[in-house]
Amino acid sequence: MAEIPKARDFFEASSAAVGDHELRRKLENASARHLDHFAQVKAEFPPYDDERDAAHRIKTDAIAHLDELLIELTSKLEERGCKVFFAEDAAQAREYIVALAKAKGARNVVKGKSMTTEEIDLNDALAKAGIDAVETDLGEYIVQLRGERPSHIITPAIHLSKEDIGQLFTEKFGIEYTAEPEKLTAEARSRLRAIFLAADFGITGVNFAIAETGTLIVVENEGNGRLSSTMPETFVAVMGIEKVIPRLEDLSHFLEILARTATGQKLTTYTSFITGPRREGELDGPAEMHVVILDNGRSSMLADPVLREALNCIRCGACLNVCPIYRRIGGHAYGSVYPGPIGSIVSPNLFGSAAGYLPFASTLCGACKDICPVKIDIPRILLHLRWKESTGKHPLKWPRAIERARRGARRFAKTARYPRTVRTLGKLAAMVLKPFAHNGYLRRMPGPFGNWTKYRNFPRPRPHKRPEPDRPSS
Amino acid sequence: MAEQHKIIASVKDALGTGARSNSHEAAATAAVPVAQSAQRAELASTFARELEEVGGKFLGILTPAEVTNRIVSLAGEIGARTVALGQGVASDMDAIGEALERADFTIVRTLPVADTERAAMRARVADAELGIADADFAIASTGTLAVVSNANRPSSLTLLPPASLVIVQIDRVMANLAAVLAEMGPAGVAANRLTLITGPSRTADIEKRIVLGVHGPKSLHVIVVWPQND
Repeated sequence: MAEIPKARDFFEASSAAVGDHELRRKLENASARHLDHFAQVKAEFPPYDDERDAAHRIKTDAIAHLDELLIELTSKLEERGCKVFFAEDAAQAREYIVALAKAKGARNVVKGKSMTTEEIDLNDALAKAGIDAVETDLGEYIVQLRGERPSHIITPAIHLSKEDIGQLFTEKFGIEYTAEPEKLTAEARSRLRAIFLAADFGITGVNFAIAETGTLIVVENEGNGRLSSTMPETFVAVMGIEKVIPRLEDLSHFLEILARTATGQKLTTYTSFITGPRREGELDGPAEMHVVILDNGRSSMLADPVLREALNCIRCGACLNVCPIYRRIGGHAYGSVYPGPIGSIVSPNLFGSAAGYLPFASTLCGACKDICPVKIDIPRILLHLRWKESTGKHPLKWPRAIERARRGARRFAKTARYPRTVRTLGKLAAMVLKPFAHNGYLRRMPGPFGNWTKYRNFPRPRPHKRPEPDRPSS
Repeated sequence: MAEQHKIIASVKDALGTGARSNSHEAAATAAVPVAQSAQRAELASTFARELEEVGGKFLGILTPAEVTNRIVSLAGEIGARTVALGQGVASDMDAIGEALERADFTIVRTLPVADTERAAMRARVADAELGIADADFAIASTGTLAVVSNANRPSSLTLLPPASLVIVQIDRVMANLAAVLAEMGPAGVAANRLTLITGPSRTADIEKRIVLGVHGPKSLHVIVVWPQND
């Protein structure tokens, strides 16, 4: 398992990322483009909010009947000729897939984009067994070539500029340098096409699993999911236990909102409905199909009535794009394959207490809740996790700078109990600091307050004015 | 097997044994009624607009005779030499294939294959410059094609060649996705692999800039067929 860094590492990584102006430019650029697309398609689709409500309702209901749905799904999958394996944790899932690949003598393993296989660190496990798995989603392919992890769950290479990618291709393939996205994509297409045609073992994730039919839904834009699930003789789909929905008729609500929030499209380019291996005489599809259904901490989230709501997540990535923290520090600083607001909720549960500091990496501004297509109350769950963390048996160890800030905050909290004292101190500060202010802001402050002005200006305190009573505006 | 029971047991345990608030029925939603013939032309034009919006090319609403001619001219326009096609849902693919052969194009017909023939057949489809398939349905609101694949109509036809042409009958253009899924029903969807196709293969992985033709076709052409006797 990729080590989840300790709080100190997160503190250092995020401080470094905040100071990385180039990274911030790329993130702002990509997020802004993304939100533009989203606003446009949302405006053109009046039922959007109704669809969100429907999706929220169906998913909440599905999670409340998860045991029954998993039993129904399993029996339908088996009826259709799939082999189903339930994995309690990441290790069991890895072992099953690695053993299967070995038994099949797999030589060319192709992977469609899948966050769940990132979660279980499948590529490393395959590599240790001497099997190279090629990521075929363009963004994943790029980060794999760099030996990195994705920094966004929808746009894995969001932290790279086209020039970075041009350089990478020149280094790895010895081709002439170009930063044109069209040419870079064409290069990747021809290299990956050859790999696809020779592939004997394919792996993808699953977006939705329909219990009543045993159909797996894979949503994508490039064709990597279609190729990974049709070219190889053996196909493995990996899904979390929460991906199951009851019926076919539920699906359209999710597909209508997922594409809009994830990529600003009305529908993703390709949506594959896969029900079992290929039929007699068919050219495409696997001879053998396996479905790995992964728990890995999800049932413990289910047991917590507040946390349970997070299992509604359909991994659209929208909360990352609007999050002021994510937009400053990017995905890598979080140290988890699931970054951003939803990542801060699921990571401590999937990867253990080492990620317990993540729920604190939020301003609780609520932008994530507003955009969430399945209406998850992310700030509420983050507060719940903070409460759990600070009342738990093993309190987090914070880096010294954070401890100092917390002590300061506690001291302020004590003082704030006496409004008159606060007002007097405020008046005093306003008087003393007035001559040092420029345009209403302080650029430098003495002592420990200097830590604030090192990164940003501080608004000059002004004398307290009693608020005027509300008047109806004329 | 042991893991399955263990996980389902822990799920059960986590949910508690008390009464469960919602029933499956409570979350159910009304199905969208299927579009009737009166709205055909309107649905087809909405479909055309949405298709073009996602980068597809709409070749028009044509009669079966016009379809054959248009396909022959399209194959020439894109500089194809080899064209791959399967059996139709409603279109007469044999007639189309013969017309293409008369115009000197090489035809790859995707018939049911034995295991030993699979790799060779795939290579032939991949080498074709144009793949032709008949869609089972089209979705007006999103510009989407719903294509079911089987032994005579492999998924490769709309995936491997760099250009893709899909034909759909006008009475199979539905208002929205929910209508198509309702029309096919659970049994219809589960019978074979179904693929929804909305525009050419695309990516936005490099600086969120849209590039077409990543792994699938770079161009997607669509013809809506208006039956002559209508």
